[in-house]
Amino acid sequence: MKGSTVNLNLHNVSVEDEREVILKDITFDFKPGKIYVLIGRTGSGKTSLMRTIAGLIEPTDGEIYLGEERLDEVPIWQRGIAMVYQQFINYPQRTVLNNVEFPLLRSGISKADAKVQALAMLEKVGLTEFKDRKPSQLSGGQQQRVAIARALVRNTRVILLDEPLMNLDYKLREQLREEFRILFKTTSNSVTIYATTEPSESLFLGDELLVMRQGRIIQHGKPNYVFENPSTIDVAQIVNDPPMSILDGEIKGGRVNIDGSINFEVPNHLKSQPDGKYKIGMRASEVILGGNMSNSEEGSVSLAEVSGSETLLYVKLRIGEVVLQLEGIHDYHIGQRVVISIAPERIFLFNMDSTLCAAPGN
Amino acid sequence: MAKITFTDIGQTYDKDPNQETWALKPMSMTLESGRSYALVGPSGCGKTTILNIISGIINPFQGKVFLDENDVTKLPTAKRNVALVFQFPTIYKSMTVEQNLAFPLVCRKWEPAKIKQRVGDIAEQIGISHKLNRSASKLGADEKQLISLGRGLVRDDVTALLMDEPLTVIDPQLKFELRKKIKQIIEGKDITVVYVTHDQYEAMTFADELLVMSLGKLVQRGTPEDLFERPNSKYVGNFIGSPAMNFFKAEVVDGFAQIGDYRLNTAVNLKKLSDRYLEFGIRPEHVRVQGGPGDNVLTVDFIGFDDLGSTRVLNCLFAGELIKVKVPRSFEMPEQGLIDIKLPKDNLLAYRDGLQVL
Amino acid sequence: MSRIFKYSFIFIWSAFVLTPLSWALVTSFKPPAAVNNGATFIPWLQFQPTLDGWKDITGISGYANLFPPLINSATVTFFATLVSLTFGCMAAYGLSRFSYGWKHYKNPDIIFFFISQRIMPPAVLAVPFFILLKTLHLLDTKLGLVLVLTSGLMPIVVWLLVDFFNQLPKEIDEMAMLEGCNPFEAFVRTILPLSKPGLTVAGMFSIIFGWNDLFFALVLTFTNVQTLPVAVVALNGTVTPFWTLCASAIFSILPLIGLAFVVERFLSKGGFAGAVR
Repeated sequence: MKGSTVNLNLHNVSVEDEREVILKDITFDFKPGKIYVLIGRTGSGKTSLMRTIAGLIEPTDGEIYLGEERLDEVPIWQRGIAMVYQQFINYPQRTVLNNVEFPLLRSGISKADAKVQALAMLEKVGLTEFKDRKPSQLSGGQQQRVAIARALVRNTRVILLDEPLMNLDYKLREQLREEFRILFKTTSNSVTIYATTEPSESLFLGDELLVMRQGRIIQHGKPNYVFENPSTIDVAQIVNDPPMSILDGEIKGGRVNIDGSINFEVPNHLKSQPDGKYKIGMRASEVILGGNMSNSEEGSVSLAEVSGSETLLYVKLRIGEVVLQLEGIHDYHIGQRVVISIAPERIFLFNMDSTLCAAPGN
Repeated sequence: MAKITFTDIGQTYDKDPNQETWALKPMSMTLESGRSYALVGPSGCGKTTILNIISGIINPFQGKVFLDENDVTKLPTAKRNVALVFQFPTIYKSMTVEQNLAFPLVCRKWEPAKIKQRVGDIAEQIGISHKLNRSASKLGADEKQLISLGRGLVRDDVTALLMDEPLTVIDPQLKFELRKKIKQIIEGKDITVVYVTHDQYEAMTFADELLVMSLGKLVQRGTPEDLFERPNSKYVGNFIGSPAMNFFKAEVVDGFAQIGDYRLNTAVNLKKLSDRYLEFGIRPEHVRVQGGPGDNVLTVDFIGFDDLGSTRVLNCLFAGELIKVKVPRSFEMPEQGLIDIKLPKDNLLAYRDGLQVL
Repeated sequence: MSRIFKYSFIFIWSAFVLTPLSWALVTSFKPPAAVNNGATFIPWLQFQPTLDGWKDITGISGYANLFPPLINSATVTFFATLVSLTFGCMAAYGLSRFSYGWKHYKNPDIIFFFISQRIMPPAVLAVPFFILLKTLHLLDTKLGLVLVLTSGLMPIVVWLLVDFFNQLPKEIDEMAMLEGCNPFEAFVRTILPLSKPGLTVAGMFSIIFGWNDLFFALVLTFTNVQTLPVAVVALNGTVTPFWTLCASAIFSILPLIGLAFVVERFLSKGGFAGAVR
């Protein structure tokens, strides 16, 4: 594989103009053969970071290296980087096979070889029988598979995937996500960077997680670690779907009080925390329905939503809104009174400036 | 509000006498007043055809449509008093938000004072009161879609609200918020809502009842809970729920499902059936990891798990079949290798040729 | 009901459009008596058609020959269109994909500058063009006329195509660049093949405007390069009978009608179907 084992290095890369900061001081060392997942809300800079690496945006500051090569001084068409977009971008006038052959032919591979390699790639993504169709004659999922095949076929040193599953329905996302994991692991020795807004996708696919917000990387690490130890409330909100519920509370005299109405003994993982005011976070799946202890509170359902196979319950308490994720599918109506309880041993504790003090661990 | 009734409605564009080729095979159904329904299925399954027949955009090849007791089969859309929301927001860009919302009433020659009050009410409901004087062209796609909805609801004689993939052009991050909002707006109203989507997730979150369509036929109709707990076909079992339902083949022996050396009790009385082999299905959510042997317990090879955030999915192999088990995140993962899992009898459903056996 | 309305409307409209044309067509075959002794409409019934009018303009009767002007017009229009399309599409692509500017003047201002060329009445340009071509010794040459026409056609082409290119997702050419095409190759290999509809429309406009140009041809050419409109007008200036004039009018629009049929065919056959989703 040609040059497919070099690191991608970013040094203090910034993109700004008079009006706004798009990327700020991004420094990171991407290693080959790993999948890096960029997670963040829309507008957090994920797409801009990828476009900067690809050369579609020029950094205003900083350097990008691919191995020894100063990448930001190489024109786009010589960088040898593959990218897959949110939209299903293929060449509409070419057949599926020609689409996949195109990048190979551009890199100077003979027609016969290109065809062999393109067919092998189509086999891998399961599109062999559609090779003579035009992209517009395929379903969304198939079109995106063509785009993926086009990106992987060249064996580039860097592969960028910008929310490739975003425009597909959830069943297809689920299915393609599994295919991706196998595809990336078996075909690629490249630096693979994958942007998403979905925590489950990032946990599923990522070897390393980079959380982005306002053009900066605000935390990075193993997906599971970041998920269990979000450094700030912002990170916690980005990596949790449904979002973490945050309530104001305090620790005083060995008890945790939440706005005076819920209180319980300080759980073990918070024992070393000094008294004071805190923000208390709890995951939707760890709030308990029912209970009649001092850690319980009654509220009314403001919305009940069924997801894939869980029910999300938004419960309005006197002290704020709490989201619950219940296993299975249940029927609740808006306004229904329910009691919820907080599991003391599962709460996250944040300082008033939103940084993490203590996490429950796993 | 109105009850919507279809009697023997069928649609074909080439008038082929063979009904199997029809875009919508003849069907009868009733959608109750005041409930919300989602028509869901892949593209070309006939869901949009149904919506268009209700709204009067197309006239059915055969059959009749009733709104309450009135036969509206031949009535044009304008006389059916239905509100329509399409994929793309339909707003008048040259007008302000207020003028947009008032437009249907101005057309009906309402008094200005009454219009103002009504528009105020609707704007309040869709949460756009503070932007009434803005130019509609300056709003985001989600707000435009809300105004499309508001314009549909502003008339006081609306009987049904029909929505055709209303979230398609909305940014995924805003989809959730908008869906929540639409749901809250509708919840307080006594209006029949029909919502078309290809996204199961959207359908489940949105509707009281789902109508799952495939190839011009209604496959199953029921609440999200029905479809989840009692999928009437493998199609629905795969289509609804995440991850999809587990299915495996087993021999029927003495009223048990025999798989390897194990005999399983199932939700169906297998003694009554003459099949030698059936397929059995169980939701990953219903499979439990068990400490030791017992009734309906299998020893399987646990080969790894997928992390989905709040939940995790164990992948287990048994006799060449993959069985997924969904557990909460707090569940303590066992070592890879042999583990015992329980397939509760009541959740183990039987299927023949893809259809549920009752 | 609505069907009857629709068809009657179409009928009335086509009558409105076709009557003058058919009137000219019929007249071009009339003998003098059919014109001079009151109105006649139906050939063979009311008069015996003759080819006299057509012989007058095709050089057969020796009165006038419109074929050389036809060839001149075709040549000039063809090259003016070719140059406008070639450079116009590149300019339009540039304006659609890259940003240019000086201080607060940006792409839209440049596009407006292009189109503003068309706002000026041609009469204003006549004298400068005359002096320009005279200095370059290009008066009364095809090249001179091509250059002048191009200056008028290019703005239309750029204006139409910028809009067209804006509709094509820029991700397509970005991707081509990522896959090894330099910007020019990306344009030629991926965008141009998708642009047939836009190029056709722009080409049609430029052919129509070029073909119908009378003013510049009248001012900037004399005897060597007489274009069809000039020749037709010249016939008007002399004592030419009605039937000959009608024949010349039909003759001068025939090529455009033929072209319209071809393009219409192409469009309705779905020549563009599937090109852009």
